Amino acid sequence: MLGPRLAGERGVALIPPTLDHVKRNWEWQTHGETTRFWGIRALDLRPEHAEERFKKLAEARDNVNWSITHEGDHVGMTGLFDINWISRDAESGIFIGRHDLYGRGIASEAIRLRTRFAWDELGLRRVHNWIAVRNRGSRRANEKAGYRQMGRYPRAWFRSGQWHDEWLGEIFAPGQEPPGWV
Amino acid sequence: MLGGILRGKRTLLRVPTEADIDGIARWAADMRVRGALTRAYWDEPATRATWKERLTKQSEDKGSVLWAIEADGALAGSCRVEFNVEPGADHIDVTHFTIDPERWSQGLGSDAALTLSRWIFDIVHARSSSTSLAAHNTAAIKLADRLGYKTFAVGHAVHYGDGRYVDELQLRMDLETWDERWGEAEREYPVLLGEELER
Repeated sequence: MLGPRLAGERGVALIPPTLDHVKRNWEWQTHGETTRFWGIRALDLRPEHAEERFKKLAEARDNVNWSITHEGDHVGMTGLFDINWISRDAESGIFIGRHDLYGRGIASEAIRLRTRFAWDELGLRRVHNWIAVRNRGSRRANEKAGYRQMGRYPRAWFRSGQWHDEWLGEIFAPGQEPPGWV
Repeated sequence: MLGGILRGKRTLLRVPTEADIDGIARWAADMRVRGALTRAYWDEPATRATWKERLTKQSEDKGSVLWAIEADGALAGSCRVEFNVEPGADHIDVTHFTIDPERWSQGLGSDAALTLSRWIFDIVHARSSSTSLAAHNTAAIKLADRLGYKTFAVGHAVHYGDGRYVDELQLRMDLETWDERWGEAEREYPVLLGEELER
């Protein structure tokens, strides 16, 4: 599914993605500045593949996809994936392609909007994710929204001569927190 | 892909065929099996024609492998693994592992799981393997612990079933653990030394 328009603070909004957004997201994923903690900088960039992928994203019933805009410009993407409508659980993800805008709280606001939508509009009760431990910006943005560590996956991937762990986080809708969850 | 022959002491992992569909479909519809798993079974109950299509798709999928588990000459379970999507990750995820509930508590799961692990570490030489288990599935947790899997995360109230939410353990085993614990005894082929390597 493509998510609806959600206006946030500080010029941030989530909007339904377009085919051009998908192509731009992929182009951003070919850059070293954006892929230190993301992918291997190798992907199928054919226009027809983007069209096919965009159609699948739009038709899928188990995910919600948004483009992130800042002051009206497309700057990245976010979404809720693998939604389990029985357990009311989903995985979340976010990617800011405009690395010149890192550190301005755009991800934090996008996560806040996405999380509120998960509770208030989709009726989900839990969202979880995996983030590179060293990706402090993304981890802090998620923690700010209320995600808490549920574990740590050691030596998840190797980059520039060293192993990196992954941080596993989860967040519950207000009133849905299981006993003992901090 | 479909998995080839892996011999355990009491079980045989072999290529699944259309003749196995009835058993596989029966377990997909068995509440005991569904209740023990955190992830969905290989797939939901369906018509025989759909199961045949699924088997064909599985055969064509280069990112995963499915085996039938046989014991005493009869189908006794199935298991499936996925390769990590990132090239070079050398990681294998055990996505499902099922023993016929009529044959639970006979030690077939332990034998088949060890045999599958031997393929993961001795044949593929994966760097690590992972799986997830429902926190109430004590038999599977004990089995994983015996093999050498360690819990690295606990998801709280992840899955809904039988009128309640259940926690999910995420577990991982490294090649080093396999080598220390099973490497000597569970090699598929004898180690060749010196001149033997050259002959």
